[in-house]
Amino acid sequence: MNTLTAPPPTSIGSQKQDQRSGKYLTFGLGKEEFAIQVLRVREIMGIQEITAVPQTPAYVKGVLNLRGKVIPVVDLRLKFGLPELEYTQRTCIIVAQIVAQIVAQIESRAEKLMIGIIVDGVSEVLTLQAADIEDTPDFGNGVETPYILGMAKIKSKVKILLDINRVFTAQEVERLEVVTGSGA
Amino acid sequence: MAIESEKKETSGGASPAGSASLNPLAADPELLNDFILESREHLTSIELQLLTLDQDPDNAEAIHAIFRGFHTIKGMAGFLDQDAVRDVAHEVETVLDLARNGQLTITPAVIDRILESKDYLTRCMGELESSMQTGTLVSPAPNVVLLAAIRSLSAPEAEAAAAGAPPEAAPLPETPAVLPVDAVPLPREPVVFATEGLVELAREVSPQAAEVSVEPSTPPESTEGPRAGAARPTGARSIKVDTTKLDYLVDMVGEMVIAQSLVRHDPDLAIGVKPRLGRNLSQLARITDEVQRTAMSMRMIPVGQLFQKTARLVRDLSRKASKQVDLELFGEDTELDRNIVEDLADPLMHMVRNSVDHGIETPDERTRNGKSPTARVTLKAGHQAGQIVIQVSDDGRGLNQTKILRKAIEKGLVSADAQPSENEIFNLIFHPGFSTADQITDVSGRGVGMDVVRKSVLKLRGRIDVMSRPGEGTTFLLKLPLTLAIIDGLVVGVGGQRYIVPIFAVREMLKPPEESISTLQGRQEMAMVRGSLLPLVRLHQRFGVKPRFENPWDSLLIVSESGGRHFCLMVDELIGKQEVVIKSLGETMANIAGVAGGAILGDGRVGLILDLEGLFGARNSE
Repeated sequence: MNTLTAPPPTSIGSQKQDQRSGKYLTFGLGKEEFAIQVLRVREIMGIQEITAVPQTPAYVKGVLNLRGKVIPVVDLRLKFGLPELEYTQRTCIIVAQIVAQIVAQIESRAEKLMIGIIVDGVSEVLTLQAADIEDTPDFGNGVETPYILGMAKIKSKVKILLDINRVFTAQEVERLEVVTGSGA
Repeated sequence: MAIESEKKETSGGASPAGSASLNPLAADPELLNDFILESREHLTSIELQLLTLDQDPDNAEAIHAIFRGFHTIKGMAGFLDQDAVRDVAHEVETVLDLARNGQLTITPAVIDRILESKDYLTRCMGELESSMQTGTLVSPAPNVVLLAAIRSLSAPEAEAAAAGAPPEAAPLPETPAVLPVDAVPLPREPVVFATEGLVELAREVSPQAAEVSVEPSTPPESTEGPRAGAARPTGARSIKVDTTKLDYLVDMVGEMVIAQSLVRHDPDLAIGVKPRLGRNLSQLARITDEVQRTAMSMRMIPVGQLFQKTARLVRDLSRKASKQVDLELFGEDTELDRNIVEDLADPLMHMVRNSVDHGIETPDERTRNGKSPTARVTLKAGHQAGQIVIQVSDDGRGLNQTKILRKAIEKGLVSADAQPSENEIFNLIFHPGFSTADQITDVSGRGVGMDVVRKSVLKLRGRIDVMSRPGEGTTFLLKLPLTLAIIDGLVVGVGGQRYIVPIFAVREMLKPPEESISTLQGRQEMAMVRGSLLPLVRLHQRFGVKPRFENPWDSLLIVSESGGRHFCLMVDELIGKQEVVIKSLGETMANIAGVAGGAILGDGRVGLILDLEGLFGARNSE
């Protein structure tokens, strides 16, 4: 039961740094570079045919067949509010295993899910040391970024470290808010 | 010998709850998991044996089996420093030891106490399991009250009073759960009494027994855990398999069938297949089919397990309501897909609960109406025409049509001047919140049960029929498909997408002539099919897909049935017929109206399986 939880933005501690170091897969979205922990990555494949599923948010592209298993596919561009791009040969689907909080009826439980994440292209696997990682700057205007573990500076390029679990936990909350009509 | 719960009994060596154990083995999660699993198995078996013993208190075999069960649990618990469990098991073991040496008679009171202990141990297992998941192990606190209560069973006064009162299948009003038996003033009669005399005496005395309500025991939570139902009680050799492995195997076999089919029908092979290749391909197909059949059969378990759980429920309910109920089981060997059995557990409990609570009359009322004072609840399972049929019937009051109709009119479900048929009236009981109970007991009456039953049955792609005769009883007939994993589907196309329509819901397909299509208020469309006007549902509209054809008369109409109603589903074309393995789309997509799941089509792409009830239902809410 090794779920990595993102620490609240204000706390700083050296143990937290150690948790974030490790191997990351970096990938690009628009002009930015992101990274997710390699342990969460199951495989990487080229873009392929996705079956659309109705009544899902725009960033949920649908489902695809992964060797007999049907997994949902999301477009990270759309999830992060970037303009949609046509898929090219470089476009990849990263199959990640996440632990998501499923809110089913009255109880909520953690479940392991495989999801496919469409990104512009994957770059490399990097080993990040604690020294390379910094906390996300507080932008001060109430922008909540619970799914960003921190920033890494490698060769003067900034990579945004994503907590892939949080990206979609926030989603569940969003869906609930939409459904219940509460929240902005 | 009044026993207060504050008095701490030290003989059990109870250790304070949550104390860190000095024994490193005691904290080993794997050992603990095994302990929980095995204990649960023993506890299930113990309950079965206890119910047998209830009917036949001299059954030495059962006493031995129960003894062995508690003895084993005690041993494991001691090894792992689970003192609360060990102590209770030890006390019960002592009582059973006396029983098997003829020094203690098994009375319903004794059985009650042991069942309580079994329930308590089941709860302990649950507590242990949850506490392990949080990461810190907290062992259950010792249950001093229960320990004292069990001990009092072997106390000499209680024994003499209990001995002689012949155990009856019909329950006497329960002995109090918390007060020790001897707190009830029973006269000390010499044992020389003739049996009938004692029966009279017992009957006279028991109404004066202290009024303590016994908590209705919750039906034991599924003690199957992650073990597959591969272990058979008939003594056949068997092996325990993790159900996740089994599910995965069945899944992969399903895919193997499809892959094999792809190879066989590959266009490159179609040109001039050499005889030897052709033979080998056929052989491959035959073998694959056989493997699939075997894999599917591995998921089948006998429905008897499910029925046994109701035995406990019936016993507890009937005792609580002071009714006499006999439970008859037929067809316990009938095999069902394991998933179906799991999903049937709840509905079955609800139906049985309803029967005992509402349907069955008190022994007095029954005798007054010329019926035998002991009511009968029958559970029957069998195969019929490619389906599983499960019957739940009772010989109680039957459904009161007038009452139901009145309640329905009250709730606005039916208009006051409507003349519903008998069948329609009976089906009203499945409405959420519907109940003709005048009072809500803590068991039922809230009107929740039958709604849950209907939903569960629909989820299993089955149907439920109700038959009833006033004064004679009620019968529920559940018809379910043999397996959930595979569905026979029609592959249809809309725009560039493919969807799968379950064949069991399809009545016919047609290309409608233009004049058969009409509209209502410009919004709802209808098609005239064989003299009936059926509502038209445009699949492309429902799913936001651009269709190839806009007009119904250029498209294909699939006449489908859902919940007894017919409607037409409009699609572009029919692509083919295929048996597909149903794949869940996952929790995140579980609640999409109109989509029941996904399936992998012949070319490897995913096709969405339609949920017709959802499609049709959504339409009604517009």
